[in-house]
Amino acid sequence: MTDDDLITLVREQHAGVEMTTPVEQIIVRGRALRARRRIPGLAAGALAVAAAAALAVTALLPASHRPGPQPPAQLAAWTVTKQADGTITVTVRQLRDPQGLQRRLRADGVPAIVTFFGHEPRACQRYPRMSAILMAEVFGGHGPPLVIHPKALPHGVGIQLNPLHHRHGAPIALAAGLVRASPGCTGT
Amino acid sequence: MGTNRPDFAEFYRRSKDECLFTVLVSVGDRDTAQDLVAEAFARAWASWRTVSRHPAPAAWVVRTALNAHVSRWRRRRREVSLADPGAIADRPAAGETFDSPVDPRIMAALTRLPERQRQVVTLRLFLDLDTARTAAALGIAPGTVQAHLGRAIAALRADLMPERHKEIPS
Repeated sequence: MTDDDLITLVREQHAGVEMTTPVEQIIVRGRALRARRRIPGLAAGALAVAAAAALAVTALLPASHRPGPQPPAQLAAWTVTKQADGTITVTVRQLRDPQGLQRRLRADGVPAIVTFFGHEPRACQRYPRMSAILMAEVFGGHGPPLVIHPKALPHGVGIQLNPLHHRHGAPIALAAGLVRASPGCTGT
Repeated sequence: MGTNRPDFAEFYRRSKDECLFTVLVSVGDRDTAQDLVAEAFARAWASWRTVSRHPAPAAWVVRTALNAHVSRWRRRRREVSLADPGAIADRPAAGETFDSPVDPRIMAALTRLPERQRQVVTLRLFLDLDTARTAAALGIAPGTVQAHLGRAIAALRADLMPERHKEIPS
């Protein structure tokens, strides 16, 4: 076998690998990236601290309240608003009452686990096919506030919210990720 | 589709598979590679005015994907252990079946190459860049590209055809 034969053999390998992501999906993600660049203060680096492919959402104080068709659950610590199109907006002002936030999200149809302090349940498993594109579809823009598109969640997948980092007096940053939905983790 | 980017879709259609394979050889996991390449193409779309003027837009995509992989690995290094390069070809990636047309021996041989040699091989052979563009993409001299390619081919030959390799006096 000559060098040319070897090169041909190696070159032929890529024929078996096909990128299956539709170009439309790429463009949707590209638009989100471009839109983020246009928003002052949300330029590069907004996601740089997001660990484990999580989406960082900074809930600035004071949070703006966006009226929706349903009356929001206006609490001191956080606000959840469900829009007519099914999207859910979450604003966190204080890291209090994670169970209440978790119940509210589940009541709104989002399998969710919220852990402000302490460890997540052992039953929680990260969704292995979490990708930047899927994250963009589920969480839309990059906040604030955090916007969830429940219809974009694949079957059997829930969301996980936990503080990314929090220093006294600093804005609260949440990490949002995807986990396998299960009774022991997300309730369903 | 962005009407100001009429040629992006054609660029994507033409180069997506080569970019994916190039990144796959470096990262070893098909799902990860697909995610990285999709994100890199999305960045290319967002900056298409600039990227379309790049001498080798596909190389830009690959480099962006691999840079993102390095950044991601640095962030996740406490959670993810590095795969044994030699074992990568022995386990099919998620969604990939054993009857994949990709020869696991060749994938293993590629992943065992030193990083720079692997980069040169993927850019020269899979993205079909010439020596000058490969050199520009990697920030090295053209002569260095040729040297790395020669060593890589020798290493692949030794790896894939060990008996034959022994017969050839050096």
